[in-house]
Amino acid sequence: MKQYFKNTWEGLYTVFVGMIITFKHLFVPSVTIQYPSVKVPLPERVRNRLYVNMDDCIGCDQCARACPVNCITIETVKSLPEEDLGKTSNGKKKALWVTKFDIDIAKCCYCQLCVFPCPTECIYMTDVYEFAEFERNNLIFNFATLTADEAEEKIINYEKMMAEKEAQKAAAAKAKAEAAAKTKKEDNSTEKNNGKEKDSE
Amino acid sequence: MSIYDVIFYLFAILTIGSGYLVVTSKNIVHSAFYLLFTLFGVAGLYVLLAADFIAIVQLMVYVGGILILLLFGVMLTNKVTDVKIRTGTIHIIPAVIGTGLLMGVIVSMMLRTNWKSEPGELPFTTTYGLGRILLTDYVLVFELLAMLLLIALIGAASIARRDNE
Amino acid sequence: MYELLKDIFGNDIIAYIIGAALPLFVFILPFALFAVYLERKISAFMQDRLGPMRTGPYGLLQTIADILKLIQKEDITASETDKKFFNLAPYLVFAGSYAAFAAIPFSGMYIGSNVDVGIFFIVAISSLVVAGLLMAGWASNNKYSLLGAMRSAAQIISYEIPTVLIILTIVMVTGTLSLEKISQMQTAYFWNWMIFGGAGWGLTKFLLFPFMVVAFIIFYISSLAEVNRTPFDIPEAESELVAGYHTEYSGMKFAMFFLSEYANMFAVSAIAVTLFLGGYQSPFGYLGNTLGISWLIPIEQLFWFTSKGIFFVTIQMWLRWTLPRLRVDQLMAVCWKYLIPYAFVNLIIVGIITLL
Ligand code: SF4
Ligand code: SF4
Repeated sequence: MKQYFKNTWEGLYTVFVGMIITFKHLFVPSVTIQYPSVKVPLPERVRNRLYVNMDDCIGCDQCARACPVNCITIETVKSLPEEDLGKTSNGKKKALWVTKFDIDIAKCCYCQLCVFPCPTECIYMTDVYEFAEFERNNLIFNFATLTADEAEEKIINYEKMMAEKEAQKAAAAKAKAEAAAKTKKEDNSTEKNNGKEKDSE
Repeated sequence: MSIYDVIFYLFAILTIGSGYLVVTSKNIVHSAFYLLFTLFGVAGLYVLLAADFIAIVQLMVYVGGILILLLFGVMLTNKVTDVKIRTGTIHIIPAVIGTGLLMGVIVSMMLRTNWKSEPGELPFTTTYGLGRILLTDYVLVFELLAMLLLIALIGAASIARRDNE
Repeated sequence: MYELLKDIFGNDIIAYIIGAALPLFVFILPFALFAVYLERKISAFMQDRLGPMRTGPYGLLQTIADILKLIQKEDITASETDKKFFNLAPYLVFAGSYAAFAAIPFSGMYIGSNVDVGIFFIVAISSLVVAGLLMAGWASNNKYSLLGAMRSAAQIISYEIPTVLIILTIVMVTGTLSLEKISQMQTAYFWNWMIFGGAGWGLTKFLLFPFMVVAFIIFYISSLAEVNRTPFDIPEAESELVAGYHTEYSGMKFAMFFLSEYANMFAVSAIAVTLFLGGYQSPFGYLGNTLGISWLIPIEQLFWFTSKGIFFVTIQMWLRWTLPRLRVDQLMAVCWKYLIPYAFVNLIIVGIITLL
């Protein structure tokens, strides 16, 4: 019987205590951060969307090889010997046209493994994390600075150069074969070839 | 046609229609649910007869108590819900005799009763009068019924308890 | 009220229909909109959150947006349901809880139906809700729904006993079942309220006071259980039963259940207010009386009634966000082992006091 009344009292009393606690919390300032209007400052070393500074990229493909999920696609074309692509900020000479540099962020797992091998430190993590898209294809980011036309041009140039080189080689081989016979004619033909190349540029 | 008539016919149709469905539906749970409307309709008719207290007792006891218990019983015994009830006519001749007799009795009762048809003053409330009568003239019956219910209650509790041990 | 409407429209039937629809559109819908917002805000503040903030200033339009969403939603009827009863059940439940509003005296001017058995009527008509819930649970053809409906019915029926015992206590003291008369008995000042022992300054008032407080607490607890609010929300215990009897419902039919839940919340608070806290009576006398403007009084009464009702709805919410859910056996233990004996003893003591 005593237990019974004790239970009753405890039932009511504990409810009352709980209610006081929740009532106090009515006036505790809220911890909510109203996200799109207020943002939490990000920590220093956050890993979010990748960015490639194409001015510095030498197209060495090391980042693509490091990526565990193969989300970086790089295509490069060798530049012509006369073309000066400039230097990277840490003094490396650029020798390749980067015709394609795509990162499929949808696949990226933000492991940052691509960042370390880069010799010019041009691929790095930014603090952009709001890049939702309606189409998965829109998540493929193209970093290559060359336009499609330019890229094509570079490829054609390269192919031409290669073709000419082949031709040159073939010519050289021919010339070598003929060299036994005549040595003076060969010199002339090479000079002519060089002149032609300059014209096409 | 006054609003009284409209409501009367609504309730009458509800009562009779759902009553018919109770008897004819094949699924026992459906029957039980239709019974809800029958009982509700009857309560409505009581209200129209100025028997407000009875109407509410009807609602409370039949809809709130008996019907719910019925539904519980039907739902908890899952075999019952699967049983298809035969609602066709089986024994026509005995049925006709039986219902004919019942009909005869009811009709003769109706004809013999001395109906008071003069429009008497309807009491606004019946609660007071009912209470008075129950605790004066019919107090013995009232108390006996109370005892009966109490015994039933204790019996039910003790049966439920024995199962537990 | 009806006379007024009859004068305006010149026809009984239209007047009655409008009078009957009035509480729904003027009161229940706006109240439900407001209460849902209030509930979300209260729960948020109690958990140190902000709650809805985006739709409108301070999220005020959130519930309107929700309702619009619910209206647009596809009305799914699962293929294995019992279509007829599945579609009927939400309306039955809503009709049951709406019918209770017919007998609630909102003010001296507006009471849907001033029946002499008002409180008894409300208790009885709520059984329609139980039948509707069972119908919903069974017709959904889903074990969670059925379990929820069973629990709900068992719970409502059990808790009806302490509720009715307390109502009986009040009826014994006041000698009437009419909510209108009970309200009138507690007129003008708050010391005349039933919880303070009713009108008059006799010895019985002081003797009744403690027992009335006990009665009020019991009534409030059991009415909480009757409307399936936490801590007594095992019928729709999300963690075990998905959503109980309305698991299978969507769109407008779900909105019906939702609306009837909020309507019920107010209805039980309104009954508690009418029985114990003076109903629509003002606690400090009427401004209309002092100023001599008689038409102000019903408006004041309406104000007091709704604000008292909403106060108790707020306490329901407060309790909901404070207490965890009871287990089924605890639920039944609270009812049968604690509330009913206390209510009985209380009834007998109050009976003896009123005989003095
Ligand atoms: S962060 Fe990881 S997954 Fe993403 S591109 Fe770099 S290496 Fe690939
Ligand atoms: S590792 Fe750096 S330099 Fe090399 S391709 Fe990738 S981004 Fe360009």
